[in-house]
Amino acid sequence: MNRPLEHPTLRRIAALLVLLGLWEAGSRLKWIDPFYAPAPSAIGKVLYSLFAEGQIWTHLEATFSAAIMGLVAGLALGIVLGFVAALAPLLAQLIEPVMILLNAIPRVILAPLFVIWLGIELASKVALALILVAVLVFFAVYSGIKEVDQRLVERVRTLGGDRRVLIREVYVPSVTAWIMGSLKVAVGFAFTGAIVGEFVASSRGLGYLLQFAQSSYNAALTIALITLIMAFVIVLFAISEWLERRLLRWRYV
Amino acid sequence: MLRVHNLSVGYGAEPVLEGIDLEVKKGEFVSLIGPSGSGKTSVLRAVTHLLEPITGRVDLDVPPNDIGFLFQDDALLPWRTARQNVALGLRIRGSAIRDAEEMAEHWLARLGLEGFGNRYPRQLSGGQRKRVAIAQVLALKPELLLMDEPFASLDAIVRTRITQELLGWVEQEHMTVLLVTHDLEEAISVSDVVYVLSQGPRAGIRARHDIPIARPRNVLETRRDACFAMLLTTLWNELSAASASDAMR
Repeated sequence: MNRPLEHPTLRRIAALLVLLGLWEAGSRLKWIDPFYAPAPSAIGKVLYSLFAEGQIWTHLEATFSAAIMGLVAGLALGIVLGFVAALAPLLAQLIEPVMILLNAIPRVILAPLFVIWLGIELASKVALALILVAVLVFFAVYSGIKEVDQRLVERVRTLGGDRRVLIREVYVPSVTAWIMGSLKVAVGFAFTGAIVGEFVASSRGLGYLLQFAQSSYNAALTIALITLIMAFVIVLFAISEWLERRLLRWRYV
Repeated sequence: MLRVHNLSVGYGAEPVLEGIDLEVKKGEFVSLIGPSGSGKTSVLRAVTHLLEPITGRVDLDVPPNDIGFLFQDDALLPWRTARQNVALGLRIRGSAIRDAEEMAEHWLARLGLEGFGNRYPRQLSGGQRKRVAIAQVLALKPELLLMDEPFASLDAIVRTRITQELLGWVEQEHMTVLLVTHDLEEAISVSDVVYVLSQGPRAGIRARHDIPIARPRNVLETRRDACFAMLLTTLWNELSAASASDAMR
């Protein structure tokens, strides 16, 4: 016999609904100050009005453009630099220390510099998202190649495979597994870069709206925007997971 | 077919093997036995240039493309299906993808894996993976087959069955084989010649024995051959003496 709420997702949704119900009840009974934590229904109304009045679209477009462009460019740059460093030890001596340094610092401190260099429009946000993602992906690729199963390398070599075959048959598939493992984090980093960039200086975007909501002490708008960002990131996570299952089918059969 | 002269190899300052001389003639099945850690695998690695010798040389009468290497681990690419794994060597050697995959299916069928071509290695049992690895090597029709304890991880029944099948292929195709093993009974039942390696480091060839058992052979029936027990005792004593003298070093 099936017990109710047997599935973990159903249990999670039920827990969330209970939490929202308690929060709503607490607000209506004046136990929770709406200045700090407006009721979920009030946040829902703000979200609805953002979409109904259409003002959100330009901000969504700005943030998504910066995040997606930064993600794609960061993935490409990280993969290329990772392969170059792993397969050319001389170049690794140049690239690795820079990447270690960039990894050691909170990379969002570069945001003001990108604004000075690239202005307050899209380019500075893309650059910040790119640098956040590229460093992460570089280490995934670099470590992935360094830790490739040597038995597979020797197997392909004894079958007559040259460097080109090794890259195609062993390194690329092996590194794909490492990259897919980092993809969800990279998605989060891309949005962090875009939104922090908008926080620093911008004329539109979810970061700009958040900055406005904070400066006007509008908690409902702030929480509505955070909810919106979380919802989009969850959708991107689901797409990443789908992609991972497609590309690493051999792991899930 | 294969001659190893005064070979010394090592991974650090001290050689694992020193002054190794051995010969594998065309059509011969030669085994190299020795205690664990004696450097048996290093001989095969030196033959295939996976390991550069400190001194000595390896002379081969076959081009590198005619050498097949069956590893201790099946070492199949986990992201390729059984068919793609078998086809890989053929593709590397210039076959078109379609031809290589057709040939791969043929070899999988010959090794009793018909219908398993689309499965990934993780969907196969240890014995099935080993058969795929054998198919991968045999599909290349190597003139010289090098084997590094290929069946060590299998249970006794599967191991005996696969050894018999492989022996059948080797005899049928007149392949030349160099097998590395620590299993004395296996070495006697399949080989024409057995070399005994001393305990490493600085291991050397301690003895060479001809195995005068007629072919074709059955790995179980060879154990009832009159000279099997005598050879087993001789090899056992050789290895025991090697271990004892090394323990006193």
